[in-house]
Amino acid sequence: MSDFLINWIANVPVTAVPYALAALGLIISERSGVLNLTAEGLMLIGALAGAGSCLVLGGYPAVALLVAMAAASIVSLLFVFLVVVLRINQVIAGLSIVFFCQGLTGLIGTLAKWQNRQLTGLGNLKIWPPSDIPVIGRIFFMQDPVVYLTILIFFVVNFVLFRTMLGLRIRAVGENPAASDAAGVSVTLHRTLAIVVGSSLIGLAGGYISVVSVKLWVTGMVGGRGWIAVALVVFARWAPWPALWGALLFGCIEALIPHVAAAGIRVPQYLMLMAPYLATIAVMIWVGAKDNRGSQEPGALGQPHVREERR
Amino acid sequence: MHDLPRQAVSPPTVVSAPASRHFGRITLDVRQDLSQWKQAVFVGGSLILGLAVSVAILAVAGISPVTLGTELADVLNAESLRGVLVQAAPLILVGLGASLAFKIGFWNLGLEGQMILGGIFAAAISIYDIGPPSTRLLMMGSAAAVGGALWVLLVALLKIRFRVNEIIATLLLNYVAMYFLFHLLYGAWQDAKTAFPQSSPFRPFERLTDVGYGINSGLIIAVAGVLVAGWLVHLSRIGFYARFISANPRMAKIVGVPVQAMTVCIIAASGACAGLAGFVNVASQEGRLTQSFANGYVFSGVLIAFLSRNDPIVVAVVGFLIAMLFITGQTLQVFYQIPFTMVQLIEAIIVMAVASSEFFIRHRIRWIR
Repeated sequence: MSDFLINWIANVPVTAVPYALAALGLIISERSGVLNLTAEGLMLIGALAGAGSCLVLGGYPAVALLVAMAAASIVSLLFVFLVVVLRINQVIAGLSIVFFCQGLTGLIGTLAKWQNRQLTGLGNLKIWPPSDIPVIGRIFFMQDPVVYLTILIFFVVNFVLFRTMLGLRIRAVGENPAASDAAGVSVTLHRTLAIVVGSSLIGLAGGYISVVSVKLWVTGMVGGRGWIAVALVVFARWAPWPALWGALLFGCIEALIPHVAAAGIRVPQYLMLMAPYLATIAVMIWVGAKDNRGSQEPGALGQPHVREERR
Repeated sequence: MHDLPRQAVSPPTVVSAPASRHFGRITLDVRQDLSQWKQAVFVGGSLILGLAVSVAILAVAGISPVTLGTELADVLNAESLRGVLVQAAPLILVGLGASLAFKIGFWNLGLEGQMILGGIFAAAISIYDIGPPSTRLLMMGSAAAVGGALWVLLVALLKIRFRVNEIIATLLLNYVAMYFLFHLLYGAWQDAKTAFPQSSPFRPFERLTDVGYGINSGLIIAVAGVLVAGWLVHLSRIGFYARFISANPRMAKIVGVPVQAMTVCIIAASGACAGLAGFVNVASQEGRLTQSFANGYVFSGVLIAFLSRNDPIVVAVVGFLIAMLFITGQTLQVFYQIPFTMVQLIEAIIVMAVASSEFFIRHRIRWIR
């Protein structure tokens, strides 16, 4: 039983990282007032770009993760063009980006024959003295580098969003674009920046799934994690740290699935796989039922800004 | 006394800041009105641009425009046209489902899940042998509609009671429905003869067959759906209420429109259409419950509803065109190894292009030197 627990908990960070990074990326771009539904698609792009560059370069997982980030940022420029420049409906734009990416990754991955090929992956770190402690060592000090990097990214994003002028401007643009514009803060520039930077984190989340956690690429491998991340942002009330706790919760649920079968508990396999989606819906019900004062939902979320348009 | 008004009409050019000396700056004017034919030019132009991009991507993927042209022309010969008409039925029904829900501002993105539930409910009638053979198809169709409606009503309930965002909830329920389908097809409902993850084939009286002239009875269901929805939206009181609710829900409530009941009914109808699409698909094309019969339908539904501006009659036309795209996609998959996700890519490009035309319809770009 204790083996089961340790195996399970030691796996939680690996399953939680994609949720955490994707949710954080979404928070950055939604704080600038852009309703971002693209996560599922950009994670697919990240997963394909990471796996592809791993196969082409023959290794170098760290480079592959950087390529994943860059690829997602580049595709997000299309989203920027649609919602920031052309100001079309952000739900329609987000959905079409997701299905665009689904189509594109399926096409490229199949034509390049990257399907089901083993990747080298990223080894675990061994932070030396504390990693020898029996249980705690394995859980906290023997994870892969991206797990520790994720925590660092959370500190950096939190600092930039809430302690710098840049962060203040991004949040101001999301709260009241017209007032920010009048005060000389460029809405276009800050929204573009927020989307591109946020999307690079979403791409990293996708790349992490294919390169580090699963170590191969198949079509549609993100499997709804992007949508769960969108729900996670609502759950976290657009604040970074609660998103990390939420990601750990979903990481726990996802990590449990393979271990239940391994422990010999007989639960139908496919019903087990429903767990993360049902848990997300349960969390959304909980968010809806409780008192939502104190939510940091951006005031202008989903509203395009046209200076010349009178409201 | 006359100083004040004179100041108020001072020319605004003084106020606007010169941004850059060399390039001037770009401003947007908001257009009040644009003539119908100019709007059509913008929409048509962006549609052509989107299709051009799609052709270019196909060319990069190894399908030259000439090959594509011959394949597209081939789709319209008598044999393929039958396939297109069979394929059009579920697409039209899914498009109807999407457009009904969008009509009252409910983002039903669970069309695939509702199709799956419809397929499962219809297959259950067949597998458990419920009712006499003569009414079997009717039973299967009704069960499918109920299944699809129940699956979306779950989300409607969550939205009304707990303000759960329906975009995410419906999308997540697609995955739940898919895994439930897998659970059945890899378990209790697996075909014992072949051991493939699919149900045993339906009996002949459980299949939607041709009614003559190469027209499948599934298409009759779809056309009937279009006519009923067209009557509902354009002629009946319900359609008027739906327009009222989407324009101003508070005002509608104040003057006594049963807002909540209407909303729930239209959402249920939307799910029922998707459920029927699932039934039509398994009972005509597949002839059994398969793993992937609903793949790629959710965005097709969104696309059809979007291009037809939620008008049920136009849905039938657009649905037919998308069916051509589907059949061409299947041809390219079989003969040129282009994955079927290509269809989704083209659909997404078309939606982006047409949505972008909205910007040029509503704004005029001006370059001030």
